[in-house]
Amino acid sequence: MTEPSIKLEDWAQGISMRAGPVSLGLYQPSPETMEYWHGIERRELMLRQCPACQRCFHPKRIVCSDCGSSELTWVRASGRGSVYSFSEIHRPPSATFATGVPYINGLVRLEEGVHLFTRFIPEPGPVRINAPARLDFRVLESHWLLPVFLVG
Amino acid sequence: MTGKLGYSAAIVSIGRCVTKRDDAAILTALQLGAIASSRAIQNAGIKRRQIGAFFTGRCPTSYRTLQYNQTLLNELKIAPVFNTEVTAHGAGALGTIELAVLAVNSGLVDYALCVTNEASGVWLKDKVGQNAAGESNPQFEAPYGPTTPSLYAQVACRYLHEYGATSEMMAKVAVENRHWALTHPHAAMRNRGAITIEDVLNSRMIASPLHLLDCAVNYPGGISTAFIITRAELAHNHSNPTWIAGFGQQTTHEWISERMGAYDLDVIGHEPNLTNTGCATAARQAYEMSGLKPDDIDIVQTSAPFSFVHLMMLEELGFCKKGEGGPFVMDGHIDFDGGLPFNTMGGYLSFGQMAQGLYNLHETIDQIWGQAEGRQVPDAHVGLVHGHGGILASHSVMIVSRERA
Repeated sequence: MTEPSIKLEDWAQGISMRAGPVSLGLYQPSPETMEYWHGIERRELMLRQCPACQRCFHPKRIVCSDCGSSELTWVRASGRGSVYSFSEIHRPPSATFATGVPYINGLVRLEEGVHLFTRFIPEPGPVRINAPARLDFRVLESHWLLPVFLVG
Repeated sequence: MTGKLGYSAAIVSIGRCVTKRDDAAILTALQLGAIASSRAIQNAGIKRRQIGAFFTGRCPTSYRTLQYNQTLLNELKIAPVFNTEVTAHGAGALGTIELAVLAVNSGLVDYALCVTNEASGVWLKDKVGQNAAGESNPQFEAPYGPTTPSLYAQVACRYLHEYGATSEMMAKVAVENRHWALTHPHAAMRNRGAITIEDVLNSRMIASPLHLLDCAVNYPGGISTAFIITRAELAHNHSNPTWIAGFGQQTTHEWISERMGAYDLDVIGHEPNLTNTGCATAARQAYEMSGLKPDDIDIVQTSAPFSFVHLMMLEELGFCKKGEGGPFVMDGHIDFDGGLPFNTMGGYLSFGQMAQGLYNLHETIDQIWGQAEGRQVPDAHVGLVHGHGGILASHSVMIVSRERA
């Protein structure tokens, strides 16, 4: 498996996502989120933070929804969190993901107050609401290196 | 202000066009839309030059084109002075009618044509992959391999946890939906027989806690429904106007994980959560505008692609208290025999789901005018229709009435 290296110039073209002959759209690493993807290459999970009020946000945020600042900075997440919600997937979206079923996707609540969509890996498990979760990085079925959370 | 809008406009004509996967000549979404629209204009007894406003749902997934509204307008050779495409996921279908009420009441136009059309059930082959890609954030969710059921399952996971609902309660909804589908000529599961709670629980797991029979059926074809709307003074010139008693709409997010970034909003509350939805706001506005309350509603259609969503929507629409949707259905309150007439087409679970559509509204109007052959609900005069889409992101509610208040 190869780990893709994200380059800024990729974004406008995007990375095609297909289901058989049907084009489904594009994975879109974009200029405003490049630091998130570069962080993953360094095995770091990066979030947005408002320098004025210190609130942390999803890596995709552009403006602070508390004070309106557009000067958000990047901050490295501690990697500690807990399971907010989850679902064990038995029917995959495509042949690419069929190799991994059943696998668990869900929302992790980070101690910075931000929620992210992620893959939960029961190491040691089990995956249940409020179970502690810690950051790791794995190459998933998509062949992408992604942040995941080990639970238990 | 809302009091002025209630009963201020009416639906005076409907056109429908249906295509099925096994038809000899299957139609495209554009064909469906053009034919249904033309029928609606003819049924209304008006000329195409009288169409002053033209609102379409979002571009059909099976007929991608920029500015779809223009493409369909071009087929009809109409010249509206107010036209646009309404998105808001599945809620945008009723959103077209809401805009029409505002347009005809402005006095700038007399008649509005609203149409939604989709034929993904015949033209899209990979629906699992296509739907998953359409419903997940392409950058932050899709690389993890989500499916549409697994995205809704995040809400189910929290709903069961927070309110103590069970898989049996979810299954009960699927059982009652199926009863209705057996009576509807266009339902996908019309010939598949009744099911039991055990059938649902024993069907294969798709994305926990959702079993196969907890999930919507992809409609095996396409449907277009077109409506002509006009204001009260002109509606009286038409036979059998259906009064738009009240409506509401609210959107809270895009993408399920981003929903958890929403906070300090009236509908959500201070802390982010997945279980308070815009349906509550939309319903409250619709009730206030109409002067009606849940007890006044004779028949209900919800846009709910998974069983647990019905439980949540029964609560948000005011038919029971928050968290009590499960006990409400287990006590028989939506039973095919004797309960509130609920999803009389069979719902998305057994009629089938087809993207953004107004077929739920058409069914309601058929019912309140006594034209629902084989499934007629006695004495139904007031109906409520709920539209929703995007992992519980956008909700619309519309109340229609045979009598003007």
